[in-house]
Amino acid sequence: MRNKTLVLGLGNPILSDDGVGVRVAEAVRTSLPPNVPVDVCELSVGGLRLMEQMLGYERVILIDAMQPGHGEPGTFQRLSYDQLVSLCPTQHMTCVHDASLVTALETARRMGLPVPREIVIYAIAVQDVCSFSEELTPAVARTLPAVLTAVLEELDIPVREEESHGLN
Amino acid sequence: MKQIMIDPITRLEGHGRIDIFLDDKGEVANTYFVIPELRGFEQFCVGRPVEEMPRITNRICGVCPEAHHMAATKALDALYHVEPTPAAKKIREMFYSAFYVADHTTHFYALGGPDFVVGPDAPPAERNILGVVHKVGLEIGKQVIDARVRNHHVIQMVGGRGVHPVAGLPGGWSKSITKEERDEIEQIARQNVDFGLFSLKVFEDIVLSNQEYVDLITSDVYTHRTYYMGTVDASNRVNFYDGMVRVVDPDGNEFVKYHPKDYLQHIAEHVEPWTYLKFPFLKAVGWKGFVDGVDSGVYVATPLSRLNAADGMATPRAQEAFEKMYETLGSKKVNGRYEPVHFRLATHWARLIELLYAAERMLELIGDPEITDPNTRAPITATPDEGVGCVEAPRGTLTHHYWTDERGILTKVNLIVGTTNNYAPIAMSVRKAAQSLIKKGTVITDGLLNRIEMAFRAYDPCLGCATHSLPGQMPLEVTIYAPDGSVIEHLKR
Repeated sequence: MRNKTLVLGLGNPILSDDGVGVRVAEAVRTSLPPNVPVDVCELSVGGLRLMEQMLGYERVILIDAMQPGHGEPGTFQRLSYDQLVSLCPTQHMTCVHDASLVTALETARRMGLPVPREIVIYAIAVQDVCSFSEELTPAVARTLPAVLTAVLEELDIPVREEESHGLN
Repeated sequence: MKQIMIDPITRLEGHGRIDIFLDDKGEVANTYFVIPELRGFEQFCVGRPVEEMPRITNRICGVCPEAHHMAATKALDALYHVEPTPAAKKIREMFYSAFYVADHTTHFYALGGPDFVVGPDAPPAERNILGVVHKVGLEIGKQVIDARVRNHHVIQMVGGRGVHPVAGLPGGWSKSITKEERDEIEQIARQNVDFGLFSLKVFEDIVLSNQEYVDLITSDVYTHRTYYMGTVDASNRVNFYDGMVRVVDPDGNEFVKYHPKDYLQHIAEHVEPWTYLKFPFLKAVGWKGFVDGVDSGVYVATPLSRLNAADGMATPRAQEAFEKMYETLGSKKVNGRYEPVHFRLATHWARLIELLYAAERMLELIGDPEITDPNTRAPITATPDEGVGCVEAPRGTLTHHYWTDERGILTKVNLIVGTTNNYAPIAMSVRKAAQSLIKKGTVITDGLLNRIEMAFRAYDPCLGCATHSLPGQMPLEVTIYAPDGSVIEHLKR
């Protein structure tokens, strides 16, 4: 049976910083104590597919790269869904081939589908999303422990010092 | 010289956008459709074991990973000189049909359809799937979401993973289909056939019954006479998974039919200084610029071009729909086959015919007793060297070409992706729409810009193949520059 909370890392893990959301989600997965009722997954598509992935969960924590040019690479911010509606600045919220996440969720809501009650977004400012590489740029890699800590705190999971080490 | 810039992709400076240059008379002098550059794919692949390619290449696109997975898997068959077992071939094609149903559904209802269902001049905030649902009712919206969800379920069940399948192997498929799975998939395929018929009815009721839309589709603004490419089976009918690549000329005569492995003998690439992406063209005709006609090597690879290049569809109901489209749009039969349809906006109609074909083909394949045969992998005995794999991706013919050493370590990689085939035709369509719609004194409105966007939206271009995610929903930015370079108007939605 699925849990009520989903941690969803967005991005393409072979496109440099584009994959930072996926890397954070992987770190969350390995840091979760056993039997914590949280699902963790990764996705590299936006729009309708992203919305469909979120259906049935009460609470979703999205982690995504922010477009280059929005903030100093390596910095991150926590956005509420309402802020996303007004800003919509992260990498994977929209799919040019179908719809933005906001539109997709509104469509789902209109159709009575079980959309999450709460959506929180961790948006990480990045530097390079156009080079094929499995490596993050240094500034973005350095911020991983801080984002992991923030997400674990969001989940009310005590953060052990050693967990956030070694991620860079 | 004034410049109008349509920037549908504001993700990065220099990324996919349309630049329109006006002359001093206020008319369109030229346009450029610039696609973003993704760097270093070949370097990323070289040195890796080639069997990783079906899992690597499906990461380069978040829109059609299944197509890359399949082209890569077929390239491995060729590279290892192994023929997949009959069951593996049928599972692959059935899986691929499910993907087509989901992909074409999404394009029509969420991206291409809103221009017709909600209207080309409707406010951008309404010209999306939400607007479609609002206009045609919640029931259709539910059917669209259901179609996507049930086919993604098949993709996950058969492909071993949700978005990025993993089941493709040289000479086969890593997972067989149980009888229980077969029964479930058969039900889904039947629903798909009903949905395909239903979608064509929606198109008929909303688009074809509206003379204004029919006029839009058949207008000269969105018409080009070019060569057309598509993969065909032994009877020259459309096939997405396998066959020969056929090219017909603008009059519909077969120009060439070749095995996909010979693509380099027939396709060459033209380079322009203003974009990193190359423009493929027919080698035997030659590059004559961004122009129509039998003397220009420009070809198209889209749903419409696949239908134009084929003699028909391999399933009965899709064949009926095929004939209806050509008859309705005034195409005559010459030497037993329909003349090509040159109206680019008819690509949306062709896409729905393909959706129905994919559904019927899926049903046909899942009903084949051999599909549950557990023998889904042929043994590999040959030394790997070089291989080409080709499928019809929803957005055009997709070719993967790999070279390895005798250990199967990649030494070279070449890909021609669907949208790349169409780069020149898209550029031509955008130019023609801009030149037709912007005249001296024209007021640039949002509706006008959308009508220019419609010229490239019909192709559903996949920009850079991994650049699938954007900041807003097709934001459109227009900057008009005076001859001295200063901005005299700036529109953004």
